[in-house]
Amino acid sequence: MDRPALTRRRVLPAVVVGVAMLTLVAAAAYASPGAKQQAAADGTLVIDTSFVVQTIDPARMFEPTSQIAVKGMYDTLLTFRGGKTKPLPWLARSWTVSKDAKTFTFNLRRDVRFTDGTPLTSADVLFSFRRIVNLKGSPSFLLAGVKVSAPSPYRVVLRSSQPNPALLRIVPNPSLGIVNSKLVKANGGTDAVGADKKDKAEPYLLSNSAGSGPYVLKSYSNKTQIILEANPSFWGPKPKFQTVVIRNMPAATQLLNVQRGQNEVALDLSAQQATTLRGKSGLRVVTNASANLFNIDINTDPKISEVAANKDIQTAIRYGLDYNAFVKLSGPGAVQAPGMIPTTFLGHLPPSARIKRNLAKAKAAVARSGIEDPKITMTYPSELTINGISFATLAQKTKANLADVGIEVTLVGKPVNAFLETYAAGKHEMSQSYWGPDYPDPNDYLVFTPGGLAANRVNWGATDDPALAALAKRAQRTVKDTQRARLFQQIGRTMNQRAPFYPLFQPAQAIVSSSNLTNAVLGVIWPLDVRAVGSR
Amino acid sequence: LEAGNAIVTEPGRPRPRTPWPFLRFLGQRLAAFIVLALGITLIAFLLTQLVPGDPALSALGPVTSADPEAVAAYHHHWGTDKPLPVQYLTYLWNLLHGDLGTSQLSHQPVSTDLREAIPATAELALLAITVAILIGVPLGVVAAIRQNKPSDHTLRVVSLAGISMPTFWLALLALYVFFFRLNWFPGGGRLDPGVLPPDEITGMYSVDAALQGDWDVARDALDHLVLPALVLAAFNVSLIMRYTRSAVLEVVHDDYVRAARAKGLPERDVVRKHVLRAALPSVVTVIGLVFANVLTGAVLVENIFAWPGIGQYAYQASIELDLPAIMGVSLFVAFVYVAVNFVVDVLYGVIDPRLRLQ
Repeated sequence: MDRPALTRRRVLPAVVVGVAMLTLVAAAAYASPGAKQQAAADGTLVIDTSFVVQTIDPARMFEPTSQIAVKGMYDTLLTFRGGKTKPLPWLARSWTVSKDAKTFTFNLRRDVRFTDGTPLTSADVLFSFRRIVNLKGSPSFLLAGVKVSAPSPYRVVLRSSQPNPALLRIVPNPSLGIVNSKLVKANGGTDAVGADKKDKAEPYLLSNSAGSGPYVLKSYSNKTQIILEANPSFWGPKPKFQTVVIRNMPAATQLLNVQRGQNEVALDLSAQQATTLRGKSGLRVVTNASANLFNIDINTDPKISEVAANKDIQTAIRYGLDYNAFVKLSGPGAVQAPGMIPTTFLGHLPPSARIKRNLAKAKAAVARSGIEDPKITMTYPSELTINGISFATLAQKTKANLADVGIEVTLVGKPVNAFLETYAAGKHEMSQSYWGPDYPDPNDYLVFTPGGLAANRVNWGATDDPALAALAKRAQRTVKDTQRARLFQQIGRTMNQRAPFYPLFQPAQAIVSSSNLTNAVLGVIWPLDVRAVGSR
Repeated sequence: LEAGNAIVTEPGRPRPRTPWPFLRFLGQRLAAFIVLALGITLIAFLLTQLVPGDPALSALGPVTSADPEAVAAYHHHWGTDKPLPVQYLTYLWNLLHGDLGTSQLSHQPVSTDLREAIPATAELALLAITVAILIGVPLGVVAAIRQNKPSDHTLRVVSLAGISMPTFWLALLALYVFFFRLNWFPGGGRLDPGVLPPDEITGMYSVDAALQGDWDVARDALDHLVLPALVLAAFNVSLIMRYTRSAVLEVVHDDYVRAARAKGLPERDVVRKHVLRAALPSVVTVIGLVFANVLTGAVLVENIFAWPGIGQYAYQASIELDLPAIMGVSLFVAFVYVAVNFVVDVLYGVIDPRLRLQ
């Protein structure tokens, strides 16, 4: 049978009809009442950020964008306020810590209810914490070596196998948000051993929230926007906004949006970009030093590099780096890191302890090393930019600095995943590196002491510096903050003299918001606490 | 993309009688797609394995990734603890059952991710390409007909500027002028903050909202669509214009065109019925390629306008070594090129009866 051919006469009418339909759609849309461009309505808080989000299941998430959303939906035992790191009561109205810092007892509030009306009890805390541990996901390390029990409906006990004074600053982490155990179990969740294979609750938690916080999930997309709505039955103070929209925007677009929007926050502007907005009406610009730490690591294993492992070369690098230039590179608000613990945390060193560039000392150390024309390879994550600072730029700066003291640096840029693989294996001679706090406590920085996680990456074992390793162990077990501060400062001063880490700077961070907003401040762990942001 | 790819016969020659020629043609293209898809999945799989780096390290973070149990759990969860041939065969087996796997980045099925990303890009690409054709083809014809006259020179300079201008820069400029300064268009994303997408029919928000009679959302979606589509169209207007110009120049001095003029036909008819029609197959070829490019490679515009399309998805997937997502995107790209080839071949027949199917 002959088929009718596709001819122009047949196609043309179809095209005309199609175009006419589209035109009608457009005309109807534009003619409709109330269809003027809709700015964010009053009662809607808009947060623009470049999305870093894999999930909003609290027990699996550890990304900045997820933390903003999860912090709004789930309550934690303790919390921090603003940019401070003092643990404050939240779900736990009081707590006690044993003298050995191994047993932590939390007494829960009795008036907390989940959004479905179920009272929040110790059983929910038990389930949430066990689920985190047994899922073996990104945040599971927060409760490493910690056993949870619920001796009564409103009492929770955490027992740590090791003295763990940092635990009070760990539990406010949004990953440790408490979920409605009955609801999560009903949707495939489990806290049992083997949860990493058996738990199926994540899809449910990507489209529903199961918390007791001031906001509930309205819609979730890890590509466009996360929308939270006020929880009408929230047990605490009424949420300040009816709707919170966390929107995925590149920094360049955030810069324009925040100037045009209402109730708008831009989280990812560089300090330089933010500075251009200073003095503009309707905007509030805050820049300060972030708790992120940029540093350089050098390998102590002569099998990896004779040059890098040479103590005099290490000294030469320490005094050859131009720390002021690194700070300037980072922009207004950045500070030189006085040691490996950022200035925001307990135990940090005073500014007077900062390492200063001393070219004569550096050159003398090179001469003392006995190595002629020392050459060293430095690896860096080539496409990584943090706080608006490109690692490639930093690496170039390092190379130029060390050329001044006679050390030739060959730069090797690698994609992040490839960088991490060789870095974790301790194979880099020298690395341009970075550390962001997991929790706001100096214990998080023990990784840099001999035998610690980061120290192992430069093959600096406990036996390489037993005195410092012993000091670190003592600091880890000390409970009183005053004593801890003193010990960590002692560690810091020693490390500034002989550790294979060179603390460079804490970059500037910026938050720009509509001037009517209150409490729009960058947190230390979560980028922004949506439940605290209000409007004048 | 060549006219020869179509099943064609020339007038005057005896035509072999093939039953269901169109279906046969479709079948051939489908078979080509299956072979291509297999090849692409294999290549994407092997290349991803060759890239050094363990995605578990960045996914789990520095502390958790130091715990071998957590790393093992990660690999078990994503199936990357199995031998490579098993991983690949499992992927193919799941693919046969319509399962593209789960993205390591979004923790969602890749099919769900693609179902969100493809319509977003398609909506953008369709408007961009429509604008590009409506402007590029007529201007190309004008430039060719007025070859070496001031209007031709002007159009060539403009098209050169359009091609040379970096898209990301144009996108930023457009945002600055039309959003920030003039406030004619919104600043990015597919909808205003807090506006919920319409129920999914096609996945293209403007169309879906219109189909559901939700005119506020339809208008909002169109508002958001226009600026990125125009930016995307700018480069392609220039491209289509240049190709149209050269295609028209190839035929404009042919004898049959001269004969048409000698017969006293109005110049408009000469151009429309004789010149343009003869030049169209080449133009359609370019438009097909441009459309496929726009559909698969609008990453810069998507990024600046926070448009959650396939370009952004592909970029993120490759940065994070998200294998299932990379494979899903590769399959989509293969499908687009095969489909566009197919449509172009069919269009050849529509434009030129000599190239028509039996």
